[in-house]
Amino acid sequence: MCTRERILSLLALVLLPLLTWAQEIQVSAKVDREQADVGSAVTLTLTIVNPPRGTSLDPPALGSLAIVNGPVDANRGHIANGRRGSVFTRTWVLTATKAGTYTIGPATVSVGNASITTDPITLTFVRGQDSPAAGSALEQAQQRNPDLLCVLSLNKSKAFVGEQLIATYTLYSRYGNLSSAQTGTTKANGFWVEEVELGQVNFEPAPRAVNGLQYRVAVIRKQLLIPQRSGKLKIDPVELAYRVNPSFFSQGAVVEIRTNGVELQVNEPPASKPADYIGAVGELQLNSGFKTHTVMVNEPVDLSLRFSGKANLRLIDAPQLDLPVGFETYDPKIVDRITVSASGMNGSREFQYLLIPRHAGEHEIPALTFSYLDPATGAYHTLSTGPLRITAKDDPNAPAGSSAPRQHDVKQLADDIRYIRTGDLGLHVEHAPLVYRWPFWTGLALPVLALIGLLFVHRARQQRLADTSGMRRNNAKRVAERYLKDAATALRNNEREAFHTAVGKALEGFFADRFDLGVAEVDARRIHQHLDGMDSGRTAQAYAELLAESQLARYAPLENKPRQQVYDEAVALIERIGSSPRS
Amino acid sequence: MKNALLLPLLCVFGLQAKAATDARVAAAEAAYAAGTYQEALDLYNAVALDLNSAALQYNIGNCHSKLNAVPQAILHYERALRLTPGAEDIQANLDRMRALTVDRMTSVPTFTLGTTWDRWKAGADMDQWARRALWAMLMSCALGAATVLVRTATSRRVLIGFALTGLTITGACTLLAFSRASSIQDGSQAIIMSTNLDVLSEPRAGTTKQFVLHAGTKITVLRSQGDWYEVRIANGAVGWVPVESLEVI
Repeated sequence: MCTRERILSLLALVLLPLLTWAQEIQVSAKVDREQADVGSAVTLTLTIVNPPRGTSLDPPALGSLAIVNGPVDANRGHIANGRRGSVFTRTWVLTATKAGTYTIGPATVSVGNASITTDPITLTFVRGQDSPAAGSALEQAQQRNPDLLCVLSLNKSKAFVGEQLIATYTLYSRYGNLSSAQTGTTKANGFWVEEVELGQVNFEPAPRAVNGLQYRVAVIRKQLLIPQRSGKLKIDPVELAYRVNPSFFSQGAVVEIRTNGVELQVNEPPASKPADYIGAVGELQLNSGFKTHTVMVNEPVDLSLRFSGKANLRLIDAPQLDLPVGFETYDPKIVDRITVSASGMNGSREFQYLLIPRHAGEHEIPALTFSYLDPATGAYHTLSTGPLRITAKDDPNAPAGSSAPRQHDVKQLADDIRYIRTGDLGLHVEHAPLVYRWPFWTGLALPVLALIGLLFVHRARQQRLADTSGMRRNNAKRVAERYLKDAATALRNNEREAFHTAVGKALEGFFADRFDLGVAEVDARRIHQHLDGMDSGRTAQAYAELLAESQLARYAPLENKPRQQVYDEAVALIERIGSSPRS
Repeated sequence: MKNALLLPLLCVFGLQAKAATDARVAAAEAAYAAGTYQEALDLYNAVALDLNSAALQYNIGNCHSKLNAVPQAILHYERALRLTPGAEDIQANLDRMRALTVDRMTSVPTFTLGTTWDRWKAGADMDQWARRALWAMLMSCALGAATVLVRTATSRRVLIGFALTGLTITGACTLLAFSRASSIQDGSQAIIMSTNLDVLSEPRAGTTKQFVLHAGTKITVLRSQGDWYEVRIANGAVGWVPVESLEVI
């Protein structure tokens, strides 16, 4: 009790003159925020209001927190309540590389033997969520070198293949005077890169504070980037060197810095790609037309296709013209009027095709369509030239044969097997070859046998034909029987004349044939001469009588015998003579 | 009598079978056109069970080559070529497939005259020479028969001359028919089906390995003993291989 009172009184004794000199000494330690992302900067400010002379400051224990910048001391005077006072601040820029809770220890301000202690501060660093790329890049760069840093940023975080992007290099400097010593090249694989002309680089009029530090800021470089393929594309950090604080006596130190690298998600153009889409992205117009509308055959004429607008114009290839037969063309001439500015690629690209009509007439080139992708909406738009018409006239002075087209060899691109045979495959049942089977040999033998048979028959017939009298004799009876048949008919019909004529012819003809005589030679004498040998002349007698009878009865209505009897006798006689052996 | 009853029955069955075959061929064509080569191959193989033709073998070969079965493709192209030697499309595809085989066989280049003769000799059908012989014989016999109709000795002599010419043609056609038949029934050519085939010195497993052949190579079978073939390759080397490693053309 006693001791405590003594201490208090002692303290009052010591502090009283101080308090009377500056009634309030205030000490405080503050951070600008108590929760921060890993890697981002937290500013710790220790403020001493009205520090008396001889004040000493014991800085706080920072533990595993890293000092990005500081300590920076500042002292400024102020007037409060009619009295002159001062404020002393000491600033640290701190950061943590790992997430977690950090404690800033108490700071002690000692004046003489007395001291004032601040409260400890608890800081929480969390794993960075969606901190803006440029922001964290800036803070990381600030960690690397707080005096001079350069941040590379893109104006988009994702893009379509062919879409234009602007990369901006922003320089943050705490040096008063600096000049560029070296600018590294941008390594951007998969990008088409074009520098944007910026002109004079100037620092922004007002300085910018980053984590409590004041910087002069300038955009030192802009680049137009056009991704050429899809996927995660990376832009590597760019090396820069600056010569700082040159003076009359020295060239100044060279400070080398490095920008941050940037990753970009590049997407394929949306599906439903039109067939005539060849990679143009942006906003485009198309103007087209022939220079003249009438041309002589074999004279060149210019066809112009002009794409204008804001797009990746330099990457537009010449569209393939669907020329009708009879036109010759060469690779088009490309005329660019393109400017690359901070807003991207602007201007126009013109394709000048030289066409040579080889035939006279009205020619129409079918409408050429061209599609481009509008990256803002992700939709395709199609431009069309409309049908292009031109009239070619015959040149009366042209020499003949000058209109022959140039010829090219056909190129073989690949060599695949030929296609299957289709339609009738000519299928047949499998069998041994015909020549090994019996039908072949039978077929071969049959005509030969037939020929041999035919020749035999023919020879026999020839021999018979060679013997005419024998032929007659052989046929005599058959001929006579034919007449006798007529006679029988006449007999039935009771026709006298026809009957006797037939019987007469039968007898006459039979005798003539039998003995190889003419019909006129048949008379009684010859009958006796040839037939007397038979039947001791009776047959000859009967034959002659019957012949006479029939000849007589043929012309006169005199009949000595009944007709039936004449007939029977004639049949009997012819039968008897015919069956007798030849005399 | 029995045959007379069977004949119309056979005709009906024949027509039905033909319709089924036509449907299969059409389905196979559609499958091939659609790119389902395995399906096309199965259909063509079903047709090939009891029918045959160069075009069918060629189409089967095409299916195999589309399925990357090089030795099978070569085998069927060779079979197709045997039925119509010198067919341009078959030869072209066969050459393409041969280019994919491992063994390089330098065969004697054939003269254009030789292939033209082969093509002419083969014609469209293996029985054409036999039929021509039959027709020539019929014609010469008809000419011989015609001699009995003519009167003058001169015209008879001319006819006999023609008939004898016809007889000569018959003989020639018969010889060509024999030559063609023997080339079709030639069982001495074979294609190697095994990917790697050791050719041994004796018809017994484990004997000295003479050389190694690969799938798709064409060889000549000299003789067989048990389950082994003695084979000769284009450069004249000879050795023994198991029966199952080959497919006779």
